[in-house]
Formats: sequence, structure tokens, C-alpha cells
Amino acid sequence: MSHLHIPDGILPPLLWLLGLALAALFAGVSVVASRRFGPQMIAYQSALGGLMLAVMAIPVPVVGLHYCMTLAGPVGVLLGWASAVQVSLVVTVILALLGQGGFTVIGLNAVVLTFGAVLARWFYLRMVTGLGPARAMAWATAISQLLSTAVWVAILWASVRLRPQALLNHEVQDMLQFLQLGVLGTLLLPSLAAAVAVEALLAYGLGGFLARVRPDLLPSPASPKPSMETTSA
Amino acid sequence: MINTFAQIDFLASSGRSPWHRASALGKLLLAALLVGLAVFTTSWMLLLALLATVLVLGLSARVPPRLMLAAAAAPFFFSLVFVIATWAGTVHGPFVRMMRPMVASLTAVWLVSTTPYPDLFAPLSRALPRVIADSLFLTYRAVFALMSRTERLWRALILRGAVGQGGTRRYAVMGEAVGTMVLSSFDRSQRLYQTMLLRGHSGRICGCRHYLEFTRDDGFVLGAALWAGLCTWLLWTKGQV
Repeated sequence: MSHLHIPDGILPPLLWLLGLALAALFAGVSVVASRRFGPQMIAYQSALGGLMLAVMAIPVPVVGLHYCMTLAGPVGVLLGWASAVQVSLVVTVILALLGQGGFTVIGLNAVVLTFGAVLARWFYLRMVTGLGPARAMAWATAISQLLSTAVWVAILWASVRLRPQALLNHEVQDMLQFLQLGVLGTLLLPSLAAAVAVEALLAYGLGGFLARVRPDLLPSPASPKPSMETTSA
Repeated sequence: MINTFAQIDFLASSGRSPWHRASALGKLLLAALLVGLAVFTTSWMLLLALLATVLVLGLSARVPPRLMLAAAAAPFFFSLVFVIATWAGTVHGPFVRMMRPMVASLTAVWLVSTTPYPDLFAPLSRALPRVIADSLFLTYRAVFALMSRTERLWRALILRGAVGQGGTRRYAVMGEAVGTMVLSSFDRSQRLYQTMLLRGHSGRICGCRHYLEFTRDDGFVLGAALWAGLCTWLLWTKGQV
């Protein structure tokens, strides 16, 4: 659901300006934190950003429908928070230039994508010792997807709350109830469950494969930083 | 989306319309003006005029109608959810909320279909921190190499029956396939890093300065901006929601 990019002109300016400010703040902090990164790390995070965009194009069949993966969770686990912030921003800018998600909401879309990626890493590091890389990657992806979806719903809720003329209208309140109970219950929740399950299973396969072939690419609680972070030009 | 990426990149670098010859900075400013007007106006008449304007921009730049249709339809689902959530019993409100993202999305497709990515990213990279600007260039370059690899890998998986497997096994195999692409990305980043060092990477990937070269064709961009301004002046207060 973190792939569901918000388009232009839907949200009130207060909200998307806040999103831009937050994204700028995160980007600034991540730039300071990534000062010790060498060009090799920038090349690696760019390659994984390109992979995110490439993988988003793959339609995965889910019971007659097609779901597009985000890889936000696994990329967050592999890169760490600072690079994840930068990759999310870059991917969102490129998607906005392609008409997938708006220009004004680049900040909010990047924040939602970043949120999922950063949380996945946090959960992974706390679960990998007990569950192993594959299961930890799957659970971290599932939890982060659910939480980033919760942020997405919160943005939608806030955007409705920030339109006072809409709140005064009883029809709107009835419609919101219909949305919550009807559309949300029958359409969005099963879609969300299927999307989270697919993303988690893909992350399981990815985590298991990397643990067998290149375990050094996976972070561990003992050395949570990617091996390239300290490489300088 | 694979085809969309490739098609847009091809159009941007091989197009011969006046929009392609105009400077990237002028087109960026025009795009910002059109998106800004679409986002802030509450007049459905102005939005209709802006929609007609971006359609003319797209068609005169020879952007394929299928691409324009895809761009117009991309924000449809999210807009629909929001229209349901804010329904107030009138037609104009939902109309405005559906039109705004369509205008913005079509503007974006016109912009990227007429501007090669080094020209497009160069002015953006001036406003971004160095590490993010470099990442923007390198990510866009990586997409094409990875997309062709992704396509080949996906075709191989289908031919070998991986997609036909039942239950959870299918997705785990797909995850392993994505794993091979992560390794490919890692190897690619190593090669790219070595290339950067060999070419004397100075700590910043600079875009070319073509984006600042104004030509006679920028008159068309100025004309489109004046037309948008005229529409705004005439229609801003009409057809208010």
C-alpha cells in the first residue's frame, strides 16, 4: 500500500506543505548522517533504487489480479535508514515525473515510503536472532507494510478533517461511515491482506536467498551498518 | 511501467517538436505554473481550460495518446477514494477533485516526454543536496539496465513454470529471483564505483547546462504560459465550487 502514490490536487495545502517540510528535514538529517558514505555506497543505494523502480513494474499474479511490489521493506533492511530516506525521495521524484504520484505531494509520498523502509530495518534487527534472516525479513516487511498503510489512512483521515466545510455536512459523515464500514471492509482490507502477504512471502524468498549466497549483505544486530558505509573515495 | 519508462525516454531524446527544442528550465517553470494553477484553483471552468491546454501540449509534442490516457488514468483510484470520502452531494466538487490530478499528471508526462533526463535533472540537482542529486542521476541510469534484466528473468521464470506453482512456494521462488537482482545491483554498483574512480569522480555528478540554453522555440513555452495566465484571469472566479 506504500506504493499507492497520492496524486496532486487531492490533499489540502497545509498537509502537503507539512509533508514537504518533513521530507526536507529527513533528507537533511540523512545527508548529515551519510557524510561518511563513499561513492560506492551512493552507487549501491542508487542501484537498489533502480531495482525498486524496476520491480514495481512486475505484475505479480494474486488470485486473478495483479499486484505491484514495492521492495520498500527489503531495501530498508539492506540499506539502513539514512540511505533508505534518500532512495525513497529519489524514487518518489522519478515516479512523480512519470505521472505516478503528484509533484506537490512528493514529500508525503516519500515520507510514507521512508516510514515503511526504516521500520522494516528496525524490526528486522530485533527479530533476526530469534527467527533467522528469511523469516525476520518477511515479518519485518509485513509489519512495516501494515504500519505504512496506517500512515496512508491517517493522511486520508487528516485531509478530510482539514476541510471544515466537509465535516459540517451530515452526508459526508454518512459517506465516511459507508467508506469505513462498506468500501474499506469489503474492498480495501482483503486487498491489503493479500498485498502484505505477497510482499512478505517475496521478502521471505529474498531473505533466504541472500542468507545462503551473500550473508554479508544482510545486517545483523552485532554489525547493523552496511559494510560499504565506511568506504570513502 | 517498463514500456512507459522506455517509451518516454525514447520520446524525450528523439522527438523533433518545438517543445523538444525549448529549454528545460522554461518547460519546468511552465509545468510548475500549470500544476500550481491546477492545485490551487477551485474553478471547474479553469480546470477544463487547463486540461484542454495540456492535451494540446501533449498532442503537439506527439506524445502517443495511449501514454496520455495512461497518465490521465493513473491517479484515478486514489481520487475516487477521496471523492467518496468527501462527497457533499454536488457534482462540481468531485469533478474538480478528479480533474486536478489529471491536469498535473498529463503535465508531468508532457514535461518528461519532451526533455531528456540529464537536462531535466540538472536544474533539480542544483536545489538538492549533493548525495541525493547524484543518487537521482545514478538511479535513473540503473533503471534501464535493471529493467531489461528484470524482463529476461521474469520471462525465464514463466517459461520454467515458477509462476505456475501453487501457494506460498510461488512467491518464495519469486523472492529468490528478486534476490538474484539484488546481487546483480550490488555487482553493478561495484562496477559503477570503479568507473567513477577511473573517470576522476570529484564528488559530484554534474548535469549538462543545456537546460539554460534558451532558443526561439522558447517562444512557444512563453506563449503557453501567457495562455494559461489569460485563462486564469478570465476564469479564476467563474465556475467556483
